[in-house]
Amino acid sequence: MEIRFDGVRYSYPSGVEAVRGISLTVPAGQRLAIVGQNGAGKTTLVRHLNGIFRPSHGSVYVGDWTTSGKQIADLSSRVGYVFQNPDEQLFARTVREDIAFGPKNLGCDEKEQERRVVESLELTGLSEHADVHPHHLSLSERKRVAIAAVLAMKTPIVVLDEPTTGQDELGVRMVAEITQSLARDGRTVIAITHDMDFCAENFERVVVMAQGEIQADGTPQEVFVQTQALEHAAVEPPQLIRLAKKLGWSTTPLRVDEFVSGLSTEGKATS
Amino acid sequence: MTTTLYEDRESVIHRLNPVTKLVAMLSIIIIVFAVQIWWVALGIIVFVVVPAAVVSGTGGRLLSLSLKLLLPILIVLVLLQGLFFPEGTTVLAEFGPARVTVEGLMFALGIGSRIAALVLCSLVLLLTTNPALLMTSLTQKGMSPKMSYVISSTLQIIPAFHTRAQSILLAQQARGLRLKGNPLRRAGALLPLVSPLVLGMFTDVEERSTAMEARGFSSPATHTSFVIVDDPLGQKIARWLIVAIAVTSVVLSLLGVFK
Amino acid sequence: MIELRDVAYAYPDTDRYVLDGIDLTVARGEVVGVVGASGVGKTTLAKIIAGFIPNVEGGTLDGSVTVDTVPISSLPLAEAVAQVGLVIQNPFNQISGAKFTVREEIAFGLENTGVPREEMITRVSDVAKLLRIEHLLDRSPYALSGGQMQLVAIASVIVMGTPVLVMDEPTSQLDPGGSRMVFDIISALTDAGTSVLIFEHKVELLREHADRIAVLADGRIVHQDTPRAVLTDDRLESWSVGSTRYTRAARAARDAGLTNPEAALPVSLSDSTDYFTTQRAGR
Repeated sequence: MEIRFDGVRYSYPSGVEAVRGISLTVPAGQRLAIVGQNGAGKTTLVRHLNGIFRPSHGSVYVGDWTTSGKQIADLSSRVGYVFQNPDEQLFARTVREDIAFGPKNLGCDEKEQERRVVESLELTGLSEHADVHPHHLSLSERKRVAIAAVLAMKTPIVVLDEPTTGQDELGVRMVAEITQSLARDGRTVIAITHDMDFCAENFERVVVMAQGEIQADGTPQEVFVQTQALEHAAVEPPQLIRLAKKLGWSTTPLRVDEFVSGLSTEGKATS
Repeated sequence: MTTTLYEDRESVIHRLNPVTKLVAMLSIIIIVFAVQIWWVALGIIVFVVVPAAVVSGTGGRLLSLSLKLLLPILIVLVLLQGLFFPEGTTVLAEFGPARVTVEGLMFALGIGSRIAALVLCSLVLLLTTNPALLMTSLTQKGMSPKMSYVISSTLQIIPAFHTRAQSILLAQQARGLRLKGNPLRRAGALLPLVSPLVLGMFTDVEERSTAMEARGFSSPATHTSFVIVDDPLGQKIARWLIVAIAVTSVVLSLLGVFK
Repeated sequence: MIELRDVAYAYPDTDRYVLDGIDLTVARGEVVGVVGASGVGKTTLAKIIAGFIPNVEGGTLDGSVTVDTVPISSLPLAEAVAQVGLVIQNPFNQISGAKFTVREEIAFGLENTGVPREEMITRVSDVAKLLRIEHLLDRSPYALSGGQMQLVAIASVIVMGTPVLVMDEPTSQLDPGGSRMVFDIISALTDAGTSVLIFEHKVELLREHADRIAVLADGRIVHQDTPRAVLTDDRLESWSVGSTRYTRAARAARDAGLTNPEAALPVSLSDSTDYFTTQRAGR
């Protein structure tokens, strides 16, 4: 399902303009990361997708719908949104019950709910915690419950707001796997993230935002070499790209395997 | 977003020691309720509240806030007491069981003007007094720092609590929660909000109390104050004076002078 | 200095020890980093060192915990907190909520402990300069971004001038520049003799600023060594602690036979620049 932002501007009631004229098309099944400092307008922009914000100017299209005529609950059948803070989302007495909440709201019968709960628990590595109260889990696990709850809604679009913040290593690896598996199913993943290494390894497109505007947009290879735009947005390139630059390479390795193969070729070129 | 009405401005009223304003407000309220003469409250509104509002430049806000607060109360008062006052004998007009009587209207005027004086005086205080400064000056007058902490943190935490409730509501709607139908169904739909809100609040309170203790909140040392609030002699005298008037009016009222 | 000897702890009404056999020393002027999975007991450990456990929260605490050779749990809480500054994880809850400007917020702890006004003014303005938050001093603590709030929270603890600091993820809301600044400040404080115990995920910063790193897993300190040795340990992932891409790249290169298997793996950018330059030159 395609997403389109068409000249979107948004001003808060206080008068602060958080999004200043953004046009962006995200084809179905894309893995898109939005990066930039706090206050750059990232969260405000993506919250237009499920109708939490309505554009002051311009339009937002989710598939064949414009968001303006739809309620948040309507849009929840197309856009799953994982909030940054799981404690604002989890409410049920057990992990299982919490995950079933979304599918239930979407009208799934009990059998289907159960099927989706089991599947989401497996995908997020939480199967053994199904009957635990979410409050008794660690922050990293609670964040994964929040993700599982949205995955169970089976929306064609999934938005992840800071999925790796507060996660330990196991959690980060889990989120990376989830991102890849969603993409394999042809579902769109949009993530807001501060973790550039995670971003470079798992996303095919990066949008850099600052002051409510897009500063750069392209593949990680294209974006992470735009020094000026990155500096303006206070974003540091991923570690491997910084290292390659320090070593005088002309390539931009995104993953460890790319770096290692670069090591043989670039090594020959420089020596 | 903020729960306080305070607007930062420069005026004689703003510069008054907060304790002076608080004592004046409380004394005036005592006086208007003790002195049972109908024009006293009106006199205070005309000769104290209005000039104070004009001098402090808060007239506009005061007018709009007080209309919102007072109009419903006054309308109900006039309707109930004006039309159905049981001891009313001087009938002006009659509509079925309802009788407009002079006594009823006078009673409504008496109560109404007192309530108006109470609301208006409180609003002037809130509009012209920085709550932080009020707390600081009360602590300097001997109120316990714990008490002051409880009051000011409540003032500040309410908006934070509201923001959190808002986020939780959005998170549940984003999972397909619908807020439609009759109030009962709506209430049922809002249930998912309560648990994260309450749990979150407990966690916050616990964490915050740890953080506060770690910053010496229970230290046996005599607390010092970062902000010093000016309290000139003139205001001290004025405070005693107005308190004396309030006490006198209560005593006279108890003696039945106003009967 | 902080000294934990064979420390074990069980929450009230349970006999399951969440921490067990913890031995850890932070000498005067030292920074020790603690890493570990989410929910492994870091906050509990922080509260033990700060004197809240068992004094306030109860439970069973075995072993000895001393701060500057005084057993911390034998002190009344008011005296314990004068020794240990505690920066909690969530800056929102570190803010008192009772003050209407950042300036007064930072002074809150000094007011509580009866510091004279003139001294407060100097100390608040010094710490604000140190953390570069002078421009925020007249704002409401609640009108700040997460990062700004975190700097104010750190300032409000540093201003107390305790000989020991325990910091629970003090840079979680900060951008790379802000995080580096906080670690620079920590280094300046330890140069002046403060002992710092820090729980932190940003391992590259720990590599540069910590004197030692301890790994907490299953309620125990499972490993303790220099930052470079711990952060390049092969078992790091099994303890659910992330390693930098620099380390991962070097390990992969080593395993592919491209670099010297004996050379110590790098953690930071400068380590790895050296590593790859010398490794290649040597081949």
